[in-house]
Amino acid sequence: MRYKEYNVNRVLEKSIPLFWNKGFNGCSINEIVETTGVNRFSLYHEFSNKEGILYQSLKLYRERYTKDQLSILLSDGNLVSILKRFYLSFLEETRPILGCYIIHIGTELADSDKEVNQFVDNFLNDIKNMFVALLTKNNYKNKDAAVRARHLLGLYCTSMSFCLIHTPAEREKYIHNGIKVITS
Amino acid sequence: MARVLNNSYEELVEKAQELFWLKGFKGVSVKELSEYLSISPSTIYNKYSKDDLFLDSLDYYTSNYSDPFLSQLRETTEGLDSLKYFFYTLIDALLDKTFPRSCLMVNTVVELRNENDNVVKRYDDYMTVLEDSYKVVLEKAHALGQIKDRNKIDDYAQYLLGVIFSLSILYKLKPKEELRQYIDEEMSFIN
Repeated sequence: MRYKEYNVNRVLEKSIPLFWNKGFNGCSINEIVETTGVNRFSLYHEFSNKEGILYQSLKLYRERYTKDQLSILLSDGNLVSILKRFYLSFLEETRPILGCYIIHIGTELADSDKEVNQFVDNFLNDIKNMFVALLTKNNYKNKDAAVRARHLLGLYCTSMSFCLIHTPAEREKYIHNGIKVITS
Repeated sequence: MARVLNNSYEELVEKAQELFWLKGFKGVSVKELSEYLSISPSTIYNKYSKDDLFLDSLDYYTSNYSDPFLSQLRETTEGLDSLKYFFYTLIDALLDKTFPRSCLMVNTVVELRNENDNVVKRYDDYMTVLEDSYKVVLEKAHALGQIKDRNKIDDYAQYLLGVIFSLSILYKLKPKEELRQYIDEEMSFIN
């Protein structure tokens, strides 16, 4: 059981950069076979189909690569620098992919695939609620905190798409400016 | 561009652009493209190339969709109200599929990022026109007294550049009323 679990996660880990690079629709099951080294029969047995691999990879990504980043929003200190640290934490070069896999897949598939749609919406709602909590802690009133949180979330979507074509300096400037416009 | 463009080539690009808009660059194979364009795969390989058809599709998109849309915006007179209606129109175009799948330029940024220098050059041009158009409207908003500090116009214009990116995701998740409210709130940050 333990051995199998290890393999499943390894397949998913390798599928994430593959889907990120080629898009879900841009890659075939044969490419997944080549990249993961697991044969087609085993892949279908484990995940039923290509969508099955995608859904599991989203879950794994959320579990492994977003928790530490989201927890930044629980820290105490200067609001602008906490937010900046949060956004930039998704853009570090050491991550398996640059940006956010969930936003990337959402952009491609959220209108055509119900399960992806739900998953992305759920993830974004959780981030938004954490923004609300952070803003409330920093003395923004209830309704005001809710409004600004929606736009910090918009800035998240933008940072994970638009900012990927920026140089690190441009990116930092864009995010800093965005936080200022939204919170002041 | 050294290639000779004729009428039939333009028609070809117009069709190719439809397919790229729906499926992205990597999501379209040469076989699929050739079927959609009713020409043989070898013609694509030898005569046009998928890359060139894609680059020309981006140019087709800018001159037929975004440029007219943005020149209309620059000619508006109501400042922030005009800007608000510009985004409302964009939301409608996304939801009623006038824009079949988000914005082709936004999709391309997300899909190809900086992989291809020729594509990057097109982003730069596109973003420059977009940012300048926002500045034109923000200047008018300042003249109307809707923006107090003129020095903030550049910051606001830069901020607004991102709105098409957040909308491109949010329109797939949220109902129209919520999207309009989102725009109203964006406008309230500019003052």
